[in-house]
Amino acid sequence: MTAAARIIINEIKGYHNFLKFMIGLVVMGALATMARFIFGLGVTTNLNDVYPWGLWISFDVVTAVPLAAGAFTLGAIVHCFHIKKLEPLVRPAIVTGFLGYSLVCVGLLLDLGQPQRAWHTMVYWNIHSPMFEVSMCIMAYTTVLFLEFLSPVCEKFGYHVPLRVLRWLEMPLVIGAAAISTLHQSSLGTFFLIAVDKLHALWYNPLLPLLFWMSAIFTGISIIILEATMVHRYLGQPDESELLEVLTKILPWTLGAYLIVKLAATALLSHGPLYDRPSLLTLFLAELIIGIIIPMFMFMKKAYREDDRMQLRGASLVIAGVVLNRFNVSMFGMEQADQAIYYPSIIESLVTIGIIAAHVLFFVLLAKYFPIFEHHPETVDYSLPDHAHSMTAAHEHSHASGSESVH
Amino acid sequence: MSSTPVNYDKTKSFLIDTTKCTGCRGCQVACKQWNQLKAENTTFFSGEGYQNPPLMSEYTFTRVKFKDYQKDGQNEFAFYKEMCMHCNEPACASVCPVGAFVKTPEGPVVYDAGRCIGCRFCMIACPFGIPKYEWSKAFPLVRKCTGCFSRIKEGMQPACVTACPTAISYGSRADMIKEAEKRLKNRPDRYQQTIYGKDEAGGTSIFYLTEQPLDELGFKPVTQRSLPSYTWQALRLVPGIFLTVGGGLSLLSWFTHRKERIRQEEAFKNSKVQPETTVEETREDQP
Ligand code: SF4
Ligand code: SF4
Ligand code: SF4
Repeated sequence: MTAAARIIINEIKGYHNFLKFMIGLVVMGALATMARFIFGLGVTTNLNDVYPWGLWISFDVVTAVPLAAGAFTLGAIVHCFHIKKLEPLVRPAIVTGFLGYSLVCVGLLLDLGQPQRAWHTMVYWNIHSPMFEVSMCIMAYTTVLFLEFLSPVCEKFGYHVPLRVLRWLEMPLVIGAAAISTLHQSSLGTFFLIAVDKLHALWYNPLLPLLFWMSAIFTGISIIILEATMVHRYLGQPDESELLEVLTKILPWTLGAYLIVKLAATALLSHGPLYDRPSLLTLFLAELIIGIIIPMFMFMKKAYREDDRMQLRGASLVIAGVVLNRFNVSMFGMEQADQAIYYPSIIESLVTIGIIAAHVLFFVLLAKYFPIFEHHPETVDYSLPDHAHSMTAAHEHSHASGSESVH
Repeated sequence: MSSTPVNYDKTKSFLIDTTKCTGCRGCQVACKQWNQLKAENTTFFSGEGYQNPPLMSEYTFTRVKFKDYQKDGQNEFAFYKEMCMHCNEPACASVCPVGAFVKTPEGPVVYDAGRCIGCRFCMIACPFGIPKYEWSKAFPLVRKCTGCFSRIKEGMQPACVTACPTAISYGSRADMIKEAEKRLKNRPDRYQQTIYGKDEAGGTSIFYLTEQPLDELGFKPVTQRSLPSYTWQALRLVPGIFLTVGGGLSLLSWFTHRKERIRQEEAFKNSKVQPETTVEETREDQP
């Protein structure tokens, strides 16, 4: 025990200071979480009957879910639209997606008043509730991502049989992931369709679910660009900017389509005054200009598409825009003119910062210990090792699934 | 929400005539007593005028709102009792992921504390801001007016109704609407010609008659459409979208992969290598 502990401690001592800082943030977040459970939501957060939902729902759930959309978008692009050369980007995206969704689950559980009853959603169905649908989808999708995530784990430990099963499951998983993601990404928008007369007309329109889904797609693409560039810069992985260029070609189209639907929906389908609150109008314009219009024009230029610095900037703008959009819908736009303004408490902020830090930390650690970037599908040996060949073909399957659950 | 329209005529309803309300707060006290709710530490004049407590909360399911106004140079008061509207198609029930809220056939919308997971979506959804949360607890639940379901099941009237000396009538929805319309017709000078609650949020079980314009009294303008229909128009598409996206992508992949299969087969032929008898299906999508 002590020997193992010492090895771990030595290993951690060898980490870069940045990682140590991240570990510190995660620990702080964990302490803040304990405070929330010991003292209760009322004391530790700035939530009240006027603001039942705050930072945790706005960021940890409503914003984090589109930020984790890279896996399903890229999966569909690579496998369904068959742009195979992007394959090296898939695995990091799956890892980010899996981490992202796991942390969404953590965030949701913290926010629930009765987290120990989270399983009730699986027992007491209410198909009229968007929340029911989203929680079912998130559970299903986290499982899908986990299965996809098992590939590098099995490679690391050289489990050939489960690898073959996973390989065989690849297409169904990719398609399932895209379908499930479409549902819950859009249903997050459906959440706010019930807030008639509460959510400001700048954001309230019946197409909100569609807009949430479309923005999840270009956010997913942008996150992949951001992640690949960062990983190249700071983790010394190969430069993928040529591959990213393919993605930047898709972006102006998706951004443009979103812009058209959004403007049309706001102009034609919204009820109530649009221009009565200058602060909200500013937020609305900021979200559109920063997150949609500028990056759209940037990526229409070939020179910018090929430049890895511009790729990073454009993608960051898109991400900033989406974060602002989700906060506008779930927080700023829901505040009534005569209400006191909500701001998160220290504990709420610490928890959210801890969750973000945990994401970065786990990603770096996984990249350190598992074959995430070295993945070149053509070089991985999926064939059975010699000793396994003695098994008959008929037995192969049952053994395969059996051994998967053992590991 | 459901496709077959339900008839709500027989559900129990409140008719609250604010012109007859004296602001005695008997209902407030009776509600606290019946539901055994804790007293709150409040200060006078922390809300509008003599209104106290200033807000509804986990300890206060109903409160009398006070409104000062001037009429013919005279200071006047208006009061109205605020409580759960027991909507015909309650938003709180439709959004709850575990179905903790149920509209009973008798009328009241009741809450099952044993199911609730504490997500607070009902608080976001209710157009009248009724469900309140137990912010004082580490593992909070939701609280709201029960419509005194336990009393009316036994043939009694709600506690607040029995306490009210003047303003609240209680009975079936059809009767209460009829009574309200009669009053509006007989005393047109006394009343605003609207029954708040008749069509609000698709119809509720609480009706208000007022002398002053509704917005001046602080009544929220609320859509006339039932709220669950707003989300349902998106949610009902869910199975279709799932199948379309899943099916569409499957087809697409079959086509894109087919091209590759053909190319590979040609490559095999051209290279004159006999393909192995056991070509793995899984190998196809490798480049
Ligand atoms: S008033 Fe609010 S809490 Fe009461 S039934 Fe209607 S939606 Fe539910
Ligand atoms: S807080 Fe409870 S009652 Fe309200 S929506 Fe969530 S689970 Fe349902
Ligand atoms: S119906 Fe019952 S719970 Fe509701 S306000 Fe009246 S006394 Fe209180």
